[in-house]
Amino acid sequence: MASVQISEAEKVYIMHGVRDDLRVDGRGCEDYRHMEIETDVVSNTDGSAKVRMGHTDVLVGIKAELRRPRPNVPDEGYLEFFVDCSANATPEFEGRGGEELGVELSNTLYKVFNSHRSLDLRSLCVCPGEHCWVLYVDVLLLQCDGNLFDAMSIAIKAALFNTRIPKVRVLEDEEGGKEIELSDDPYDCLRLRVDNIPCIVTLCKVGHRHVVDATLQEKACSAASLLVAVTPRGAVTCVRKLGAGSLDPDSIFEMTETGKRVGKALHAPLMELLQKDESLGKKRQKVGFLA
Amino acid sequence: MLKSKTFVKKTRSGGVLKIVREHYLRDDIWCGSEVCTECKDDSPVLQRDAFIQSRLCTYPHYLIPDTNVVLHQIDILEDPVMRNVVILQTVLQEVRHRSAPVYKRIKDAIHEKEKHFYTFTNEHHRETFVEREQGESANDRNDRAIRVAALWYNQHLRKAPCAGELRVVLLTNDQANKEKATEDGLLAYRCEEYIKSLIGNPELVDRLALTSNEQNEITGGRVLFPEHLPLSRIQTGIKNGTFLQGTFRANRDNYLEATVFVHGEGEDGTEVLLQGLQNLNRAVHQDIVAVELFPRERWAAPSAAVLEDDHANDEDAEEEEAEKLESPALETSMLKPTGRVVGIIKRNWRPFCGMLTQSQIKEATRHLFTPADRHIPRIRIETRQASALVGHRIIVAIDGWPRNSRYPNGHFVRNLGGAGDKETETEVLLLEHDVPHQPFSKAVLSFLPRMPWAITEEDLKVRADLRHLCVCSVDPPGCTDIDDALHCRELDNGNLEVGVHIADVSHFIRPGNALDQEAANRGTTVYLCGKRIDMVPELLSSDLCSLRSNVDRLAFSCVWEMNRNAEIIRTHFTKSVINSKASLTYAEAQMRIDDATMNDDITNSLRGLNALAKILKGRRIEKGALTLSSPEVRFHMDSETHDPIDLQTKELKDTNSMVEEFMLLANISVAQKIYEEFSECALLRKHPAPPLSNYDILVKAAKSRDLEIHTDSAKALADSLNAAVLGGFPYFNTLLRILATRCMMQAIYFCSGMDSDFRHYGLASPIYTHFTSPIRRYSDIIVHRLLAVAINADGTYPDLMDKHKQSTLCNNLNYRHKMAQYAQRASVAFHTQLFFKNKGILNEEGFILFVRKNAIIILIAKFGLEGTVFFKNKGKPGPKLSFDSEGPSLTVEDQHTFHMFDKVKVTVTLDASNIQHQKIRMALVEPVIAGVSVAWPEPAAKKPKLDR
Repeated sequence: MASVQISEAEKVYIMHGVRDDLRVDGRGCEDYRHMEIETDVVSNTDGSAKVRMGHTDVLVGIKAELRRPRPNVPDEGYLEFFVDCSANATPEFEGRGGEELGVELSNTLYKVFNSHRSLDLRSLCVCPGEHCWVLYVDVLLLQCDGNLFDAMSIAIKAALFNTRIPKVRVLEDEEGGKEIELSDDPYDCLRLRVDNIPCIVTLCKVGHRHVVDATLQEKACSAASLLVAVTPRGAVTCVRKLGAGSLDPDSIFEMTETGKRVGKALHAPLMELLQKDESLGKKRQKVGFLA
Repeated sequence: MLKSKTFVKKTRSGGVLKIVREHYLRDDIWCGSEVCTECKDDSPVLQRDAFIQSRLCTYPHYLIPDTNVVLHQIDILEDPVMRNVVILQTVLQEVRHRSAPVYKRIKDAIHEKEKHFYTFTNEHHRETFVEREQGESANDRNDRAIRVAALWYNQHLRKAPCAGELRVVLLTNDQANKEKATEDGLLAYRCEEYIKSLIGNPELVDRLALTSNEQNEITGGRVLFPEHLPLSRIQTGIKNGTFLQGTFRANRDNYLEATVFVHGEGEDGTEVLLQGLQNLNRAVHQDIVAVELFPRERWAAPSAAVLEDDHANDEDAEEEEAEKLESPALETSMLKPTGRVVGIIKRNWRPFCGMLTQSQIKEATRHLFTPADRHIPRIRIETRQASALVGHRIIVAIDGWPRNSRYPNGHFVRNLGGAGDKETETEVLLLEHDVPHQPFSKAVLSFLPRMPWAITEEDLKVRADLRHLCVCSVDPPGCTDIDDALHCRELDNGNLEVGVHIADVSHFIRPGNALDQEAANRGTTVYLCGKRIDMVPELLSSDLCSLRSNVDRLAFSCVWEMNRNAEIIRTHFTKSVINSKASLTYAEAQMRIDDATMNDDITNSLRGLNALAKILKGRRIEKGALTLSSPEVRFHMDSETHDPIDLQTKELKDTNSMVEEFMLLANISVAQKIYEEFSECALLRKHPAPPLSNYDILVKAAKSRDLEIHTDSAKALADSLNAAVLGGFPYFNTLLRILATRCMMQAIYFCSGMDSDFRHYGLASPIYTHFTSPIRRYSDIIVHRLLAVAINADGTYPDLMDKHKQSTLCNNLNYRHKMAQYAQRASVAFHTQLFFKNKGILNEEGFILFVRKNAIIILIAKFGLEGTVFFKNKGKPGPKLSFDSEGPSLTVEDQHTFHMFDKVKVTVTLDASNIQHQKIRMALVEPVIAGVSVAWPEPAAKKPKLDR
């Protein structure tokens, strides 16, 4: 993963700061950096969002396609994740450099999001056993400045909120042949309920304490971090340890608790923001990529 | 300003695709009006004083029609009275989407300068673009876009300093739209309302298409037809096989019967029989329909009866029909898949030529119109000028066919002129056969070479100079478009050199230009009696390309070296310059050959050719080429009135077949060459072998005379035809050959890359093409181009090498050839009628060509004329008939049995009682059957006519 090299003295400086709940950029240990969210940025997707967190920049596009449901769950749709590490983000990703990371990230995302607890997958079913919607979630990393998971999860949640799937009806004739009919009104579409979609909070163990939303420098001071996926109600859906170092059980417990607290606090303003944005309708000013 | 248009669509594989298109809005789209000072339009289209006198709008105004008005009332909009009309882009796009022919017509109207039609691209104008709103249907959005544009026009024109009272008027037939428009402060009228208010143009009212709300008023509530299924049901039905999709073909002899040709995959196209008005369910000839098959028990055999829809103007026909449809005694082998029409997939209505049958009630405005094409049902139209239209040929368009109406509803479009007029009738048959016959446009003529034209040095450099050869042409008398010439000379080694020189039309018609496109569209020159509709402008057809004598002409030559046995030793193709020494007629050439005293170069050349041709023909016949026959006639025209004064069957001389033989040889040689060079995209001509069942009638007919016809191969057929001679009945063989001709398939053009079967059945050649008549056939021009590329005489171009484009071209050529043939036949038929009109009543001998269930079809060899003698007349109890389909024979009143080829005597008259369809009537004179045959007409009736 993208990393920076820092000197011993710098490390000490950062660790001492964290110990005193004062980070290099002036934040406290449980504070996020400034965040910018914009939805509906890619017009030919069914839903999209772009999130900027510090210098970390993530774009998520969601495409819905009609497919055959998985045989073990015939009445559910499913999600597919793909993370593209653009060489824009860091020169390391050039060529196939980002591939491994991309697979790792998408596997994690799959674990976090593709569960009927976070998203009502039944609502994606069109015709049991025959047709369901598959949501292809494509994540594009435009710039890496630490804390990719949190940024991605927020972007995915915003994009899912923004997703509009065209409504289809299944016509059945006398012989039982099924035909899919599209509504000819482009406004007639299916929205997803994002109430239970979790957000990821990554906690980075720095010295004896842990910080959220670590920058690359802070990350360099840490041997291990913990990923916690938290729903708006505070339920933890997934916990993962990242990094080479180890964590003792006490700090895992401690970090999970912090994660829950921070996560819950993150959801409320995010939803408020998304809803406000949506209510603007056509009057909403588009910023796009030129900001 | 950039907007994006987003829509979702279903892909063929069942997926759903979201499509986003960029849509740019501009503010430099002009309103197109002369009064406007704001718009910087250089040549505004809409006039300052746009004045159509109307009781509703007494001020100058521009019209804005909505989509449905354009779609349904295009005939009105095309009228020269309608000027200063704004056609919105929204309307244009919708029209294009819904009906290609109407779209073409409205585009033509827009291009016509005098009409002052202006297209306003409102969808790209910043102030008139509207986005679809939530809960709004696509149609509502378009209506709103139209209203917004109209409103914009109103406000925009008001700003102009000298606009005066200029207003825009919205024409819409949609009540809701009209109300909303009025709410917005627009002037909106229904189309009918507006047209009826026009002062001084009452005839326009007749052309109004009947719209759906009016249809209900016309007939009572009685529902005659089952409902058509919606398109979605039809599509699912076709997918799962309950319905079949096919082209509806009405039976021209029996209006209660039709077939649907189902396009199967590959070769297995099947035909479904439909019987009875209910089952035909308002389908019109050439519509694409969905049919449902009946279970096997309900299958029927096609009835051999001839039924004409001759009812008076009534709606009570069904009872009679039910009785007519009584099922005949059936043999199961005759049963055909039978079904009914459940829905119409695509209407293929076009404007129809025909005549008005005036309603018996005086002052009635609704009349029945009988189309000239007997495949088409009669059409009810509304007109107040019926008395003026009776006896005239008119054009009518169908508007719709409601369930409670016996006939489709239509409206009057155009008056062509008096029926029976030669001009009018020619126009009718050209229109009916879709023959493009307008004069060539300026754009086309601009590609003609400049006169005076002469062969340049450059031409000579790249061409073989064959001017020293003794070339001559042999053609029918009066031929001005000479496209082939021949020569033959002895070589030093004792062999003969034979050359076929074809006019080099492709030198003048360069690929892709307007001249080329026009020729490609016309496809062929159409020869009517006394009229020729050229494929290329006259300058080319009768002058520069015509290989006339004693002028230098460019040619494409095919030169063979042959031994005395007519075996080809060497073939050589070259572009050349020739100078024909003589243009002969067949008769002149024959005279030269026969006259032993003549010994000049030309005559010797002709003799050489004639000798070789005989060998070639013999060899061809040996291989199984068919000699078929069709009764062709030639009219002797009065030089002043152009009325036919005499007619005779065409006579064939040796020289005819001499020229033909070498043309065949050239065509075959060229076909081999271009196929060798371009195996994927050679344009060839094939003649498929007919299915054996086609020969049934021929075999049966021969059997009735104890002769056997073998049909297993072309050779066997040719031999058995040659052997089928009856002593004392010399014409019998010709009759058989006429029948055999009717069994044949059509020869067609095709692209070698798209087909694998190349055989030409009739000529018994494995490969064939058309090379020898580029002046009158477009196929030959393409072949010339291919050959020129093959011998490096000319460059190629992409379309020539594209087998799909070639294939489309072939389809058009095949269609045009077929239509040209039909038009030609129709023209001959019309002139035959003219001839008999002048002759009065004639008694002639004829032969029975076919025997039908209630009629016999008779051929009068002398005139090449076919006619039907009916044994059942409407309204009268007919004689007792018994029909034997095996014979086939027909026994009338147990007195006389008619077999095929029987000799009968008939009287021939022109039946002008129905001017609409003037026809040659035949009535039986001999054999005499009481109550059926007619008496020999007394000569007194004939005399005065002859004196005139």
